[in-house]
Amino acid sequence: MVDLARVQKELQECNRDVEVSGIRVSPKADSLTNLVGTIPGPLGTPYEGGTFKIDITLPDGYPFEPPKMRFATKVWHPNISSQSGAICLDILKDQWSPALTLKTALLSVQALLSAPEPDDPQDAVVAQQYIREQNTFVNTARYWTEAFAKTSSLGVEEKVQKLVEMGFPEDIVRSTLEAVGGDENLALEKLCSA
Amino acid sequence: MEEDYKNGSSYDEYYDNVYAAANDDDDDVDVDVDVDEEEYVDGLQEPEVETNRSLFSARPTCKVIRKKYLLAAQKEDLQRVMDLLSLKEHHARTLLIYYRWDVEKVFNVFADRGKEWLYSAAGLSVRSSKDLNSSHSSNEVTCQICFEDVSGNESTIMDCGHCFCNSCWTEHFIVKINEGQSRRITCMAHKCYSICDEEVIRRLVSVKHPDVVEKFDRFLLESYIEDNKRVKWCPSIPHCGNAIRVECDEYCEVECACGVQFCFSCSSEAHSPCSCLMWKLWTKKCQDESETVNWVTVNTKFCPKCYKPVEKNGGCNLVCCICGQPFCWLCGGATGKSHTGNTIQGHTCGQYKEGEVEDAECAKKQLFRYTHYYNQFKGHTDSLKLEAKLKDKLQEKIVILEAKSQQLKDFSWVTNGFNRLFRSRSILSYSYPFAYYVFGDDLFKNGMTQKERQIKQNLFEDQQQQLQANIEKLSMVLEEPFADWEEKDVLQTRMKIITLSGVTDNLCKKLYECIDNDLLAPLQEATHNIAPYRSMGVEKASELPQSLTRSKIGGQ
Ligand SMILES: [Zn+2]
Ligand SMILES: [Zn+2]
Ligand SMILES: [Zn+2]
Ligand SMILES: [Zn+2]
Repeated sequence: MVDLARVQKELQECNRDVEVSGIRVSPKADSLTNLVGTIPGPLGTPYEGGTFKIDITLPDGYPFEPPKMRFATKVWHPNISSQSGAICLDILKDQWSPALTLKTALLSVQALLSAPEPDDPQDAVVAQQYIREQNTFVNTARYWTEAFAKTSSLGVEEKVQKLVEMGFPEDIVRSTLEAVGGDENLALEKLCSA
Repeated sequence: MEEDYKNGSSYDEYYDNVYAAANDDDDDVDVDVDVDEEEYVDGLQEPEVETNRSLFSARPTCKVIRKKYLLAAQKEDLQRVMDLLSLKEHHARTLLIYYRWDVEKVFNVFADRGKEWLYSAAGLSVRSSKDLNSSHSSNEVTCQICFEDVSGNESTIMDCGHCFCNSCWTEHFIVKINEGQSRRITCMAHKCYSICDEEVIRRLVSVKHPDVVEKFDRFLLESYIEDNKRVKWCPSIPHCGNAIRVECDEYCEVECACGVQFCFSCSSEAHSPCSCLMWKLWTKKCQDESETVNWVTVNTKFCPKCYKPVEKNGGCNLVCCICGQPFCWLCGGATGKSHTGNTIQGHTCGQYKEGEVEDAECAKKQLFRYTHYYNQFKGHTDSLKLEAKLKDKLQEKIVILEAKSQQLKDFSWVTNGFNRLFRSRSILSYSYPFAYYVFGDDLFKNGMTQKERQIKQNLFEDQQQQLQANIEKLSMVLEEPFADWEEKDVLQTRMKIITLSGVTDNLCKKLYECIDNDLLAPLQEATHNIAPYRSMGVEKASELPQSLTRSKIGGQ
């Protein structure tokens, strides 16, 4: 059984200092075992400016077993599968410790974006490019960030407008958008499942 | 030769025959059989002085550990480490699991690097109980796993100093035990690799899950075998429950108390003089090729006239049975004798074409080479199975002889002769897969020049043939109905068996010497460790000493 009390506390804790860390975790639908995390692309990397969504599934043994994480946003990185979003990170495998949290895990994922480890690749094609053609790599990664990790350039008001047009009440649209950090797709998902 | 035996030719004549047989093809081979020392001559009573080469002197002593004594055997090793380092049992276990139950290694690391290094490498933190008490206050603490506030007695501080609530510890232990990681359950804190105290694990888990504690204890016990390079489960099926412990980690073959003989290094059947790698490749090959060998069998066709099986000889598809009937290999139909490049006169199956087969010639050569070695191997393995039945018959002969004999009292020469036959036959049969690899391209393609290979192959095959000739003679003599003969003839048979046994033993030694010195030593390409020749046969594991097995068993 997942320790839901702990997950609950983790979410509160994490969303409290979201302004500082930029790391956000919110439940997908109503279940506390399927979550979505978002991390901002680290400054000074080809991922800068992007917002990356990560699907999180908590196994029954959580926190004594590691959470399962997978990039939902397509990303070009040696340790992340460009196809499936699978992440190669030790703390998500044998180096997991129950003392880690979703937030610390997401911080590690963010750190991985800044510091790829091509010697232990998840995506061999990307890793090869990273080693042999740094420039091409940076350009591709940047292009992917532009294409996939930048949520629509719509302003908040435009997003509200769009969702209201879909038939949701404006006050609920606004609070939902706020709760998911302005991600219109997430907000839509939440609104539909409410 | 057979006639000679029955007619009771003099011993000297016989001896000359044996001697000559042993030297049939190669005068350089001298077989040192000293007739005066006939007690030793069959090689089963060991001479006091061992042969000087390490090849024969390696004598790992091995012990059988019955399942119920596993704990006692493990305790013995634990005790040595506990005594040396004044450690508690669970600390000693942590060290020994890390160092794969190699007590000497633990001692050496301790001597070379000191206690601290020894402990930290194994993730062992030893704190005195005083430290623990002082740092463990009864105040409320917040568990950093579940974020709950708990009182001091609901939390536990581990040797590394990290403290979490008891229910979190328990969950952690259960997850790890169920994952099969009982041997190294580390602290929950991130990047803390300290091993948790097994007493704490038992105490906490037993509150709600005594079955998991049982599992934990079983894993710890089995680690003694599974993490231990000197101990292996006997591979018998169904499993006899025993494990075997060897004193030095050499390549050797052992016999379990249940009678199963196996290679200690790879746990498959005893296969010396094949190396483990050769044996693995060979068994795989035999599986893979069974199809192909079948293909060869399928490709024996039957004559359309007399129905005898006919093998194809050469590339031409017009074949001829010994009865004189020519027929088309491809369709099997009877034909006339004259043919051109692509037709048989008057025959119209349309499949016949000369020359097409030549592409396959190379692959076929490979296959025939394999088939040759396989047939030799299989032939001797089959003989071995037949000869195993001889054992009972010989036992009957001994009973008869004991009843009627006047002069002879000791009939160990019968059993010794049988054992010699059995052992040498098995060596001979495993020498074929060995030869297949040593003189083939799979493992040692660049090991020797073609010429070198040919010379060595001749030398080796010569030895195999001499050995084989003597084995067959020994087999024949043992099969004779000597129990029904007069005592003087029995005496002569005794002499023959003892002499042939001695010669065979020597030839086996020589075969191993040849393997070791002439064949493997110059090859750099792979390390092939071969269980050394033991004149006495595969070593039988002895029972653990009584003192040990009597010590406390059953830890819970
Ligand atoms: Zn706790
Ligand atoms: Zn710790
Ligand atoms: Zn056994
Ligand atoms: Zn082996």
